[in-house]
Amino acid sequence: MKTMEWGFLIVNYLFLGGLSAGLFFVSALATFLYKINEPSPYTRIARLGALLAPWPVIFGCLLLIFDLGRWYRFYELFLHLRLVSPMSIGSWLLVLFTLVSLVNCYAWLTELQRNALFAKLPRTLAFFSKFNYDIDHWRRWLALAGLPISVGVGIYTGVLLGAVQSRPFWNTNLVAQLFLFSALSTGCAALILGLAGREKRAQELRLLYGLDICFMVLEFFIVLPYLIHGQLSVQAVQDSLKLILGGPFTILFWVFFLGLGLLTPLVIELKELVPVMVSNREFHYNRFVTAGAAVLILSGGFLLRYIFVFAGQMSAMQ
Amino acid sequence: MAARPKRYAMVVDSKKCINCKACVVACRAENSVPLGYNRNWMNEETRGVWPKLMAAFQPEQCHQCAHPACVRVCPTGASHHRADGIVVVNEADCVGCRYCMIACPYNARFFREDKGVVEKCDFCVKRLERGQLPACVETCPSKVRVFGDLNDPKSKLAELLNQREYRVKKPEAGTGPQIYYLI
Repeated sequence: MKTMEWGFLIVNYLFLGGLSAGLFFVSALATFLYKINEPSPYTRIARLGALLAPWPVIFGCLLLIFDLGRWYRFYELFLHLRLVSPMSIGSWLLVLFTLVSLVNCYAWLTELQRNALFAKLPRTLAFFSKFNYDIDHWRRWLALAGLPISVGVGIYTGVLLGAVQSRPFWNTNLVAQLFLFSALSTGCAALILGLAGREKRAQELRLLYGLDICFMVLEFFIVLPYLIHGQLSVQAVQDSLKLILGGPFTILFWVFFLGLGLLTPLVIELKELVPVMVSNREFHYNRFVTAGAAVLILSGGFLLRYIFVFAGQMSAMQ
Repeated sequence: MAARPKRYAMVVDSKKCINCKACVVACRAENSVPLGYNRNWMNEETRGVWPKLMAAFQPEQCHQCAHPACVRVCPTGASHHRADGIVVVNEADCVGCRYCMIACPYNARFFREDKGVVEKCDFCVKRLERGQLPACVETCPSKVRVFGDLNDPKSKLAELLNQREYRVKKPEAGTGPQIYYLI
């Protein structure tokens, strides 16, 4: 039997890369909504997203490098650019995304935080305090530049798998979108989790709920045609779908991913948001339910990567 | 006049195969393939019930595809397609991401943990450069394997492909495999 070449490190990377892309995407959207010089709830979303965005992807990239057979030669990836290889495009995208999100993270630091950061520099690196600029006015430009890159990172994780024609479980034109919307919803969920702990964050959560519901509904309506079209496709694809329709990943997919990781949080969020939209009354939330839904979404996103990485490698043309 | 470009391929007359595995041993010796890994291997199949049964043996290795999926996905260009049709891995450029192994429909590649790189059959390019045949072809006692240049109409390989019925494995993968199995 064929060995699993890609394992847990790749699953984790796909999740973390998507999470960062989602965080940046939502933060950038909020950046366009807020008005400069006016305290606005969107500012909190934009700031939290910007401050969190770079770290998961940096950690994920480290995992990716350590998964290589010769991790110390990862720089080879940046001595070549092969536009036919999704991994080559992806590694360049990741570098670009990490740089933009780091600069964006810096741009969202408050003056106090910035000064505190530079105060911590050891004396030998005092030279760097020259870079203690106020780049708040770059925020919108950084959001504009980073938005397509974050979408690119979100899509790329799916294309990486979907581009392999010999693995029928992956090789459909729906995997890229599925991963993108899953990534965006996990980014949203992480922000919900970050903001739900405090009281009086109703306005922020209302926006995040709206976005998250959109992403999850889109994700759900990609999973459906993925299953339907798979069943209507050639034998190899039908056989590969048996991995989740009566195979080793069935319970994981239907109960834990689709049931608990996608539909349950979707219902919870709809139940909290729809009455507000219909009757125009004020939005209230229970922070434990909200945080619970966010944790379910994050676990669902992780499980989706887990199922796809392992089931995809088990599928083959017979 | 410029020489006609070469396009190396292999014909396998698997009905002649007696499953002696000399090709596997010769390959291991020639290419220093460690135990537990294979650049070429035998597929064995038994059909029917005694006394009406048959055993079929079919050697397999990298199919040196015309449109190799491994080459397309390789991020560094370590896996590349030579002008003579052979798909080789340049060890110096390989970072060991194993994307090519996932892309290969034939599972013809393996990952060398000790070196951290991916290896596969390369039709013994070093021997070809010396004017010799690949090790598996040279050693085969029952002449199952015929190696040659598709673009040379006088070659034994072209003759067999013109005169006999043949098939390739998994043509639906769309990679244009170049190991031809005679029927």
